[in-house]
Amino acid sequence: MVDPITLAVVRGRLEQIVDEMDAVLVRAAFSQIIAEQNDRADSIHHPVTGETLAQGEGAIPVFNSAMQFTVQILMQEVGIENFSSGDVYMCNDPFMGGTHMPDVKLIKPFFFEGRLFSILANTGHWADIGGNQIGGFSAGNTETYHDGIRIPGIKLIDKGILNKEALKVILANVRNPSWEEGDLQAQLNALSVGESRLNQLINGYGPEVIAECFDELLNRSEEEMRSYIREMPDGTYSFTDYLDNDGIVDSPLKIHLEVTVQGDSMLFDFQGTSPPGKGFTHMSRYTTMSAVHLSMKHIYPDFPINGGCFRPIRIQIPDTTCISAQLPSSVSGYLEPVNRVIDVVFGAMAQVVPDRTPAQSFGTNLIVAIGGRHSGTNRYFVVSYPGSGGYGASRESDGLVHGPTLLGRAAFPRVETAERVAPIMVEYLKIREGSGGAGMNRGGCGTSFIVKLLGPEATASILGDRVDHHPKGLLGGASALPTEVRIGRQDGQVQMLPLRSKGVVSLSKGDEIECHSPGGGGYGDPMQRDPEKVLEDVTRGYVSETVALETYGVKLKVENGPAGAVSYQLDREATDRLREGYRKQTIT
Amino acid sequence: MAYLIGVDIGGTFTDVICRDEETGEVVITKVATTPADPSLGLLKAVKLTEKPLEEIALIVHGTTIATNAVIQRKGARCALITTKGFRDVLELGYRDRLRNYGVTGTQNPIIPRELRFEVTERILADGSELKPLDEGELGEIAKKLKFFEVEAVSVCLLHSYINDSHEKRVKAVLEGLGNWPIVLSSEVMREYYEFERTSTTVLTTYLRPLMTGYAGALSKRLLEGGYKGEVLYMQSNGGVLGSSLVGEYAAHTIRSGPAAGIIAATALMGRLEIKDAISADMGGTSFDVCLISDGKPRMVEESLLDFRVPLRTPMIEVHTIGAGGGSIAWIDRSNILRVGPQSAGSDPGPVCYGRGNTEPTVTDANLVLGRIDPGHVIGTAGEISLDRDRAEKYIMERIGQPLGLSKEQAALAIIRVVNANIEGRIRLISIERGYDPRRFAMIAYGGAGPLHAGAIMKHMSLQRCVIPPWPGVFCAVGCAMADIRHDFVQTVDKGMDDLSVSVVDGIVSEHQKRGAELLEQERVSLIQTNIHVEADMMYAGQRHAITVPFRSLTPDMEKIKQWFYDRYTYIYGGLLTNVPIHLLNIRTTVMGVRQKLEWEFLERGREKFRSQAVKGSRQVFFEDSWTTATVYDRLSLPLGEQINGPAIIEQRDTTTLVPPDMVAAADNLGNLILEVRHG
Repeated sequence: MVDPITLAVVRGRLEQIVDEMDAVLVRAAFSQIIAEQNDRADSIHHPVTGETLAQGEGAIPVFNSAMQFTVQILMQEVGIENFSSGDVYMCNDPFMGGTHMPDVKLIKPFFFEGRLFSILANTGHWADIGGNQIGGFSAGNTETYHDGIRIPGIKLIDKGILNKEALKVILANVRNPSWEEGDLQAQLNALSVGESRLNQLINGYGPEVIAECFDELLNRSEEEMRSYIREMPDGTYSFTDYLDNDGIVDSPLKIHLEVTVQGDSMLFDFQGTSPPGKGFTHMSRYTTMSAVHLSMKHIYPDFPINGGCFRPIRIQIPDTTCISAQLPSSVSGYLEPVNRVIDVVFGAMAQVVPDRTPAQSFGTNLIVAIGGRHSGTNRYFVVSYPGSGGYGASRESDGLVHGPTLLGRAAFPRVETAERVAPIMVEYLKIREGSGGAGMNRGGCGTSFIVKLLGPEATASILGDRVDHHPKGLLGGASALPTEVRIGRQDGQVQMLPLRSKGVVSLSKGDEIECHSPGGGGYGDPMQRDPEKVLEDVTRGYVSETVALETYGVKLKVENGPAGAVSYQLDREATDRLREGYRKQTIT
Repeated sequence: MAYLIGVDIGGTFTDVICRDEETGEVVITKVATTPADPSLGLLKAVKLTEKPLEEIALIVHGTTIATNAVIQRKGARCALITTKGFRDVLELGYRDRLRNYGVTGTQNPIIPRELRFEVTERILADGSELKPLDEGELGEIAKKLKFFEVEAVSVCLLHSYINDSHEKRVKAVLEGLGNWPIVLSSEVMREYYEFERTSTTVLTTYLRPLMTGYAGALSKRLLEGGYKGEVLYMQSNGGVLGSSLVGEYAAHTIRSGPAAGIIAATALMGRLEIKDAISADMGGTSFDVCLISDGKPRMVEESLLDFRVPLRTPMIEVHTIGAGGGSIAWIDRSNILRVGPQSAGSDPGPVCYGRGNTEPTVTDANLVLGRIDPGHVIGTAGEISLDRDRAEKYIMERIGQPLGLSKEQAALAIIRVVNANIEGRIRLISIERGYDPRRFAMIAYGGAGPLHAGAIMKHMSLQRCVIPPWPGVFCAVGCAMADIRHDFVQTVDKGMDDLSVSVVDGIVSEHQKRGAELLEQERVSLIQTNIHVEADMMYAGQRHAITVPFRSLTPDMEKIKQWFYDRYTYIYGGLLTNVPIHLLNIRTTVMGVRQKLEWEFLERGREKFRSQAVKGSRQVFFEDSWTTATVYDRLSLPLGEQINGPAIIEQRDTTTLVPPDMVAAADNLGNLILEVRHG
């Protein structure tokens, strides 16, 4: 039995090694998505089970357990007896571990003194992977083959020798081959750093001790997870939510979840979820499983990211759903079903642990990508706005404004940067007033912006959701406002996208895209919100005076200043009367 | 008859070092910080030096006042004026959440929404004017500023870094309508990134009245006490600034204490001819680390003061690890020992303080292992003593029993885990920057640094560890020796092939001119002025620029390219071919160099014998057994003396631990040099 001091130190060292790998990858990357948005993950895996032993702290959440699945599937397909020292495998096949094609994964078996000791892996989101639109978030794909070049776990490096011919084929199919080669090199560097640190660690403690720590860490994490689950009330809890459509056919896709808590284990069952459609809002089962894990970690941020934690959670998804998609379904819009799976996990968990679980957040990636060529130089430009919006309120606090989706953390382009790199102009970027769900704690407001094309022409690819189904409140909290997207033509015409928040449109000079993202749901009865907070909400313009009166039962005194300035004060007496009346009404 | 005083007002203690400029005699004092009015603690600590104010020539001052005001949102009532459509930029940030995992918590902008106003105007990215400034609207805004009783105004208009005409006009118009201090973003920062520029401008505005008021009140009090000198303020960039400028550059004083420590470490390295070192400042709640490479501390252009509160101004890059004497040891749900980041702070403090805390800390572990003297509490004059029995009891109860360890093993486990946390982070920040930590020495200070430094340096295979003469007041020492420094930056954002050298020259001479004006205003006696120029450059298409120092002030474009190639090769080990080079920013630093302090001043009159330095001996636990360690008094230690571990070296402000396989040498400057003993 490994001693407790060594175990504590080894766990810390493993976490530091993956963080160091992350740092190396970010520092040398060319892809903006890796370098500035941390869209990558580095991890160390168990040599026999493939379970994750440690994963970089800053990895974006959607890779939570996806890395483990990729490694496990590869181990199974290749057979660990066929691994050699110096091999590196490459995979971006969404059906071999999840997410989408731009996420290129490298897997390196690690040998110590001739024996397979562990597996190192990483993922980097390449700026381009081919397919019918630059960047990989295409609104219009109907087949896997539209999504890009599929790399099904090939041996890119064989005992240290690079397969140049294979790499040539891959690079011939992406739009910026020299950058992608740089990203690949950065990923390889990170693996080498991981390898050398792991060697140092094993040399310091001896292989037996470290191997024992690997097993022990997984068992301890499993036990930790079970201890949390034991505290949850046993029972079955279900929740249903919808995607507006699949991007091609305008009918909703249902996501249904039943969570069963029994003793120290949990079952997540997605029976009853819609089959795949014709379009692209699909994902493979591995992404769905990763989405369940990441949601649980949002609710319990102290969970380590470690294969032991995944053991007590069983996830059942029939083969025939849009969230267990298979060839030849397109997964280019996978971010939308990930959001919805997170939403249903939150919806079900809110019944299990209402004190810990927030109301639903804005729930859409709402990507607006504007691309074209500069007049004059003819060079490509792309500006991509990842959706942001309000977070659901929780028992602990109001919801955040302008948060990233719960599965990622990509930054919103600065106005000044975007206007420098592309012939566009941002008309406004602001808080979407009144869009957060009312509640004892209020949902965060969504974000509104307008982008206008200054150049002669461009194409906009818009991929969002949550127009038809609002983010819901919790325990009496209200729903938030949904997504709205409009195209304003230079001549004053206003158009809607055929599928409301999904589609590709051609823009001419002076055309505008107007986007309003959803807020987050409210938590608890608005009539219980601290009137001082309602006063602040109205003063700041998050909530209107009318809503304060009608929804929150808060009456304000208004002092009009010069130039339209308004100052508010709380009318305590009137507020008490209003709320008293409301209480009597609810009782009767 | 002239004294120099360095003061560092930290969160817990206010430290003073006072040096007699003629005799070199040094007095240090330490008092509890007085948060309500920090100048009270300062005056008390100065008074304890027993030097009359009229005989003090200069006071140099590091402070956390600005930092605390931001964290507690206690700055001025400010308004913000932005381009129409963008008043929410300050609140929205760039789309981030508080933590990678966890959905709770919310933003708390420095200026609330009702005090953020918009004006019709628009400049485009190329600097051209799309919409003229609507001056009529400013009249309306001015009325609102009065109605809402605003104290100071920030102005941040889009693309003002390239065309500041609208911002300047806003200031001119508002100055005719009221007497608010007005801060323009184009005065604060000439770089694009509207969120960071707005935030930095707002912080400058927010802190200005506070720092102006503080500096004014302090100077007045000192004057009343007979002080005739100037007060200089430490900045986070490692330089100092005159009190007449401290209001205008208030945001530059953020985190200036740690920066001062690093300045002292850098100066010490120069004296010892050490090129690369890691500064390690371990106090009650945190461990602050900086990489000092090639004799220069690493700088960063930006740091995050709070969620969605970035400050973009050049700062010494100090990494803070939640590992200090007060860090709490605990056992997590998977039954694994952890230390920190929670800290017992100084109140209630460690278990051994006996003030109600029952969660064992790093200090408790050091006490149980015999590494610190129960009668020796830093920052007190012996009025309290540490309760070792109580520390043992709770270490056993909370850590020992659950893990099946003896009290000594449990205490040692706490030390090992906290050291491993520190080592891992140091490794990470050095590797992240492309440095091999084994090339580095360590400069250890702070109240707890010298206790842990030996073990850390050994595990990391660092070359040696230097423990300076007054480790517990080292930041105050840094204040006393820092030069005046002003930084300027201008965005260029052009390919090298589209750029002529006259543009670069023009920017640099403008910066030099502004620097000279500021030095003029500060009226501090200087021995010379130095100018450093750097450019942020990268290959077109890359996302992270590298900083390229200019080797001459009269470059040509070919030279600048060559400097880039050299720097790039140094960092990444090779060059790219056929990729054009891009120049992002020009950065100029204007340094006013003060008369240098000599290190010798810190140690005088040490013609003593080793026997006088031996205070006794005590049992200390190392590895797996109790060992007898000799205890020395640091200040009685003869220069040039060698002390073999195991040993304990005590002084008022800290305790140094020399592990059994290490040796400590007292050098001629009064430093202790720790090394692994060979043979």
